Amino acid sequence: MDTIQLTFDGKEVTGKKGQTILEVARDNGIDIPYLCYHPRISKTGACRICLVRVNDTALKPSCTEPAANGMKIDTEDEEIRELRRSILGMLLAEGDHNCLYCEWNGECELQRLCHRYDVPEPTGEFPKREREVDTVSSNGLRRNENRCILCGRCVKACSEIQMNSVWEFTGRGSATTLTSDMFDRIGDSSCVKCGTCVQLCPTGALSFQTVLGRGQSWELQKESSICIYCGVGCKIDFYTNKEGVLVKAMGNEQGPNEGHLCVKGRFGFDFVQSDKRLTKPLIKKNGKFEEAEWDEALGLVASKLSEIKSATGPDSIMAFSSAKCTNEENYLMQKFMRAVIGTNNVDHCARL
Amino acid sequence: MKPEKISKTIEKYGNDREHLMLILRDLEVQSGKNVLDVQTLRSVAEQMNMPQGAVAGFVGFYTMFKTEPRARFVIRVCKSGPCHVMGSTNVFDVIQKHLGIGIGEGTKDGLFFLEKCECLGVCSVAPAMMINYDIHGNLTPKRIVSILNSYKKKKPTLKEDCGKEVDGKACVINDPKQMKRLIADVGVVDPLKIESYMARGGYEALKKSLKMEPAQIVQTVKDSGLRGRGGAGFPAGVKWTFVTKGPHQKYVVCNADEGEPGTFKDRILMEENPHLLLEGMAVCGYAIDASLGYIYIRGEYRRSIERLQRAIDQARQKGILGKNIFGSKFNFDVLIKEGGGAYVCGEETSLINSMEGKRGYPRFKPPFPGGAGFNGLPSNVNNVETLMSVPMIIGKGADWYKAVGPQNCSGTKLYCLSGKLNRTGLVELPMGSTLKEIINVYGKGMAKGKKFKFAQVGGSAGGILGKDLMDLPLDIDSPMKKGVTLGSGVVLVCDEGTCAVDFLMQILSFFEHESCGQCVPCRVGTAQLHALVKKIAERRGTEQDIDALVEKATVMKKASFCALGQSPIMPITTMLKYFRKEFVAHCNPKHKCPQCDKSLARYYSGRGH
Ligand SMILES: Cc1cc2nc3c(=O)[nH]c(=O)nc-3n(C[C@H](O)[C@H](O)[C@H](O)COP(=O)(O)O)c2cc1C
Ligand code: SF4
Repeated sequence: MDTIQLTFDGKEVTGKKGQTILEVARDNGIDIPYLCYHPRISKTGACRICLVRVNDTALKPSCTEPAANGMKIDTEDEEIRELRRSILGMLLAEGDHNCLYCEWNGECELQRLCHRYDVPEPTGEFPKREREVDTVSSNGLRRNENRCILCGRCVKACSEIQMNSVWEFTGRGSATTLTSDMFDRIGDSSCVKCGTCVQLCPTGALSFQTVLGRGQSWELQKESSICIYCGVGCKIDFYTNKEGVLVKAMGNEQGPNEGHLCVKGRFGFDFVQSDKRLTKPLIKKNGKFEEAEWDEALGLVASKLSEIKSATGPDSIMAFSSAKCTNEENYLMQKFMRAVIGTNNVDHCARL
Repeated sequence: MKPEKISKTIEKYGNDREHLMLILRDLEVQSGKNVLDVQTLRSVAEQMNMPQGAVAGFVGFYTMFKTEPRARFVIRVCKSGPCHVMGSTNVFDVIQKHLGIGIGEGTKDGLFFLEKCECLGVCSVAPAMMINYDIHGNLTPKRIVSILNSYKKKKPTLKEDCGKEVDGKACVINDPKQMKRLIADVGVVDPLKIESYMARGGYEALKKSLKMEPAQIVQTVKDSGLRGRGGAGFPAGVKWTFVTKGPHQKYVVCNADEGEPGTFKDRILMEENPHLLLEGMAVCGYAIDASLGYIYIRGEYRRSIERLQRAIDQARQKGILGKNIFGSKFNFDVLIKEGGGAYVCGEETSLINSMEGKRGYPRFKPPFPGGAGFNGLPSNVNNVETLMSVPMIIGKGADWYKAVGPQNCSGTKLYCLSGKLNRTGLVELPMGSTLKEIINVYGKGMAKGKKFKFAQVGGSAGGILGKDLMDLPLDIDSPMKKGVTLGSGVVLVCDEGTCAVDFLMQILSFFEHESCGQCVPCRVGTAQLHALVKKIAERRGTEQDIDALVEKATVMKKASFCALGQSPIMPITTMLKYFRKEFVAHCNPKHKCPQCDKSLARYYSGRGH
């Protein structure tokens, strides 16, 4: 592969031909701030936060500018800091960014950057356009577009990752807004509630119904796990609050899912802490289920299966496995049926 | 609307997304109320197999479309520079008085709906308005009323029925001192007849080209020194070499969006000599190995669209477009694409997105259109005037062409004269003519003997020239050194009666309206600039607000995605250079300014201003 050499703030680094400046920087642990860029979606180049100085002269958006051999990059100087501060100030003035009332307080990329660049509070002298607030139409997603910076990540998350194309920009210029489908409310749209847009949203404009009032971001504890719903094996970060209540599921970017989840992985975790959940085997005695120990339960199943097999033959038994099981578990199930029971009657539920 | 009606319309244009603009335009006319309602749009999305959001996003971007019912006729009154200076506020007055409606409102009988709009490209006969697709200029109170009355019995159609005064021929200045090259045949050739064009030597340059090597043609265009006439002035021949070579499809794209307020040259060229454009495109196509050309014409230019379509049909019939042109191996055809009311679509990559049936967002570069343009394939984008210059360069040679004009900006230039002159219209002069000459000789001096105050050169994205720059050669490079630009060739002359604040307000409202909204500095910046200047016009401003104009526009200049957001700094700094005092005076709440008052009252009233 063709490699290129360039310097970032005087530091020599190696990149691959065809990469953008930002990609080389990220690969080499060099910090350049950005808002509209996200590694999972195509490039936009619209927020202008990632401007860097190239070869001591031109300011270029590092997210779209191809890196070239011998380039000298300055990731920040006084002028760039000022520009970033101005742009962030514009964003604050354009929307309604009151972190006190925002469920993403503490996790917001805009908030972090405004802090980093010491952006003054907006003066309120410029008129704002009221945009849509819809917290009720969908039982999965909440939308408060007054917190939206129109970066377009949700639009691309939906069309490029989930391939569903629910979100789109409409209007133009300062009157630009988001729309879901044909000016519909998100709950009335073709949204499948995969939540990918929320996961990529850099602010609190898009959020989950499960989050609000259940603890603030810095109080939550993260635990990584594998989704139990299908064989893809999506890696999920589960967040629990101080009371131990599961608050949200976020796709882990290191997993095979690269951060993406479907509606089941995203929202299907309420059963975990449900009091209706079975935690012990039950055996029906005198028409009523009674709690039992594993040894007793398994012994009962084994003896019943042997009974049936000797009475009416192995083909009178069938096993129905689950897509929720791993490949290994499913393999064991069919092996058990074929080798131990002696039948080919194996099937699975194919979907959930 | 009935689904069958919709499917018939889709069938007429084709099911691909790239035809969305024409399909929606047709459906809007059919609606009889100038509306694309949500039900219709859903059906379009479904039948075209497009995401609903993509259609909603498209409709929302182009200002000619609306999802709320309007009326049988939409009156769009231009408020851009030239019309504003010539009194578009009066036009609003008359309409308001006659019909009793404000901006964004319709008459009770469902006949008329009033909107304000940006430049309609008939600036020499300002003020102007467009009723559905008919453009009318030279508006006086009496004319406005009689025009409105003439619509009472009309039916909405896509066929233009413009007034004579906006006819291309009528908008050209007749002065023997001009150097007529591009417009030599205007008024001589019958734009409706290919025979007439051919009788004047039309398509001879194409014939000659086909006997040359493509590389030779590119070299000739390079040698001629022809630079792009769309605004940026990039050498045309050099651009042609950027088109990626290879066996893949390539395109010639003609930029006929002409949105820069004060520009009307491309319209006149297309209306009066459409075959010249086809010839220029064909030569370019041969040179860069493209077999297909697209002309992207703004939706407001119905007459240009109709005349060009007619010219294309005639050329196809004669075998001048099609396969094996003039017995050669060269195949070439031309198709028309239309705009929907978006200045930014004149930016070449927005234009390509728009051609593909998308929102007119500029694309980042690289890749440039020459590498990846329309449908991701190499496309060479040139302005109308640029492409129309090509046949004469091939016909008469590079040396002949560059004998005129300064060394680095050869040839003639079309200057679009408007504003307070005794004579307005299009003139063709050697590149680098001065403001003094243009005003005194071709404009016959200031109207009504009033004093010159300033000229806006280059349009909204251009700058303000005061008395001190009367002798500045208006070519491509010299104005840049003075912080202005020739742009598309706009020369809008204002007299002492023009208020500088009021004028800047109209420019900055234009930018807010036309920003695509993709990048932060321009989306928010244009809105803030507009708010600041409006505050000053309302005499609520302070000197800090004046400085803030420059500060914001500087951030935009440095950080904006495309040239639109990078432009407002130019009118602001050049205006303040001359008239800062006037701005300061407006910061006094007691300062009287009837002009600002009138603009504020007219342009910012009504339900949908
Ligand atoms: C906001 C904006 C609007 C533009 N509008 C036009 C236009 O209406 N017509 C045009 O020919 N070029 C326009 N341009 C310039 C085009 O991007 C491009 O440079 C031009 O079409 C190239 O043609 P040329 O090289 O023949 O000049 C515009 C550019 C910008 C940034
Ligand atoms: S500068 Fe303005 S017009 Fe250009 S991309 Fe940015 S928002 Fe759009």
